[in-house]
Amino acid sequence: MTWLIVATKDFRDAVQSRALWALVSVFVVLSIVSTYAYVEVPEMFGSPEGATFGGLLFFTVGLVGLFVPLAAIVVCYKSLAGERELGSIKLLLSLPTTRGRVFAGKVVGRAGVLAFGLSVGLVVGLGFGAVLLGEIDAVALVVFVLVTLSFAAVYAAVVVSISATTGSTSRATTLALGFFVVFELLWDVVPMGLVYIANGFSFPSTLPDWTFTVTQLSPSSAYLSSIVALLPDLAETAGAEPAQTGAGAEVTAAETAPFYTSPEIGIVIFALWLLVPLAVGYARFVAADL
Amino acid sequence: MAAIELTGLTKRFGDVVAVDGLDLTVEEGEIFGFLGPNGAGKSTTIDILLDFIRPTDGTATVLGHDAQAAGQTVRSRTGVLPDGYHVYDRLTGRQHVEFAVKMKGVDDDPAALLERVRIADAADRKAGGYSKGMRQRLVLAMALVGDPDLLILDEPSTGLDPNGAREMREIIREENDRGTTVFFSSHVMEQVEAVCDRVAIINRGRLVAVDTIDGLRDSTEIGETLTVYVSELDEGVLERVRERDGVGDASIDDGRLRVTVDGDSKFAVLHAIDQEAGVQDFSVSESSLEELFVRYTSADQEVEA
Repeated sequence: MTWLIVATKDFRDAVQSRALWALVSVFVVLSIVSTYAYVEVPEMFGSPEGATFGGLLFFTVGLVGLFVPLAAIVVCYKSLAGERELGSIKLLLSLPTTRGRVFAGKVVGRAGVLAFGLSVGLVVGLGFGAVLLGEIDAVALVVFVLVTLSFAAVYAAVVVSISATTGSTSRATTLALGFFVVFELLWDVVPMGLVYIANGFSFPSTLPDWTFTVTQLSPSSAYLSSIVALLPDLAETAGAEPAQTGAGAEVTAAETAPFYTSPEIGIVIFALWLLVPLAVGYARFVAADL
Repeated sequence: MAAIELTGLTKRFGDVVAVDGLDLTVEEGEIFGFLGPNGAGKSTTIDILLDFIRPTDGTATVLGHDAQAAGQTVRSRTGVLPDGYHVYDRLTGRQHVEFAVKMKGVDDDPAALLERVRIADAADRKAGGYSKGMRQRLVLAMALVGDPDLLILDEPSTGLDPNGAREMREIIREENDRGTTVFFSSHVMEQVEAVCDRVAIINRGRLVAVDTIDGLRDSTEIGETLTVYVSELDEGVLERVRERDGVGDASIDDGRLRVTVDGDSKFAVLHAIDQEAGVQDFSVSESSLEELFVRYTSADQEVEA
């Protein structure tokens, strides 16, 4: 059970990160302001029929899609690379445990910190929204919270795994930010660019189907897809449309073309985002000379 | 059973050979000093014992278990003070020891351990604010958790003042009296001399000597040195002194005559010098192991160069 002891210690250590709580504060302020705006003028946010709690949840997805990657980077990028760079990993691994358990403990501990910060933000933001709306959809809320916490866990796994591949925090920062830029900021553009190039430097009249599949591969798209898959009724009324999350991209109903065929795939992709980075990070960490 | 057994242990980092075919056996119950200049390969060897790094070739067996294959078993019976470690700045001293207690699955009292290394008064302060010496004590307290069978201490006196270094040696002796094998590295001969049963000297990744302190002294012919003030001193005098019985080596050092004594009688040597040059005053120094250490490690370097 040493992984659990490592996780507990790591949680206690990382939860004191000031950068995390600064981000949580920003998240809280943003979610209060935007929740208020959504409830007052829902038309502007893609809910012309009026604000609903379900709509609010989908609206929050965009915010979470931006907050979680950034918070994960802040909370996790140093988790293993920092311990290796400083040498505190030597204290840890002098104790009777294994690298695998330390790795597991780090992922669980940092995911816990991230989930904790996120929960604080969600309780305040959604609580405020529920009060303003005077309604709450308990089932949808539970599903939303569970998937959102899983999303936090996925991102913790991704960034801790990135951190596990190197003994340099500057390298870990570069890799983590690079991941964020490529998969969250540019991901919608990348397939477009490929199509553009493949088509002789001009856009075809219709984009091939695979570009949409590719855009759905980013973690935050998979997160939205999973929610759509699990809350299909709400998704319809809220006009939620995957592949539009990106970094904090608002979910709009402007482009109503449902180019999203099977959101269930999102759940699979979501699971892969958890497992593949963990496998790579673990393999690299176990083999490394510290 | 040997506490530590290294067989042909080799570690290369790219082109650099940090440890080169090391064979070494540390018996149970010994206090064993692992000595060498900075960069000789001491920490690399210790890092292999703890499975922080993997050997390129050869094996390391600790308490009967392979250090790489059964690292967790090894470390469950080993207390470690690693080199180049860093404490968790945001956790207090007590939390550090509590953490070690939990990880080792024992029920030691953190307060008692902190008392033993004399930082009990700082137990509830964050370790980030500790001085280097206090951190060293803290990590020693963590190493002592669970009454280990083997203590591996990498440069334990680093950052300690003379008092702290003495207390460190006391703790090492106390642990050894309980039956704990102690393996510690140092680049300072003096610390090793004061406490060790046996010593290994390594240089450039290779073992250059393994012996008891006395054995090392005997084998290197440097016994006692006389520094003599004489009324006249030139090359001729030096030459004649060198020919005398009982004189090992003679040299002129800062206007004085330095003579190492080969036989047992310092008086005979002094008398002989007096006949040649007229002794005005003299002093005797026992050759320190420090000199011996320098001789071992620099001679080897000359050969390599």
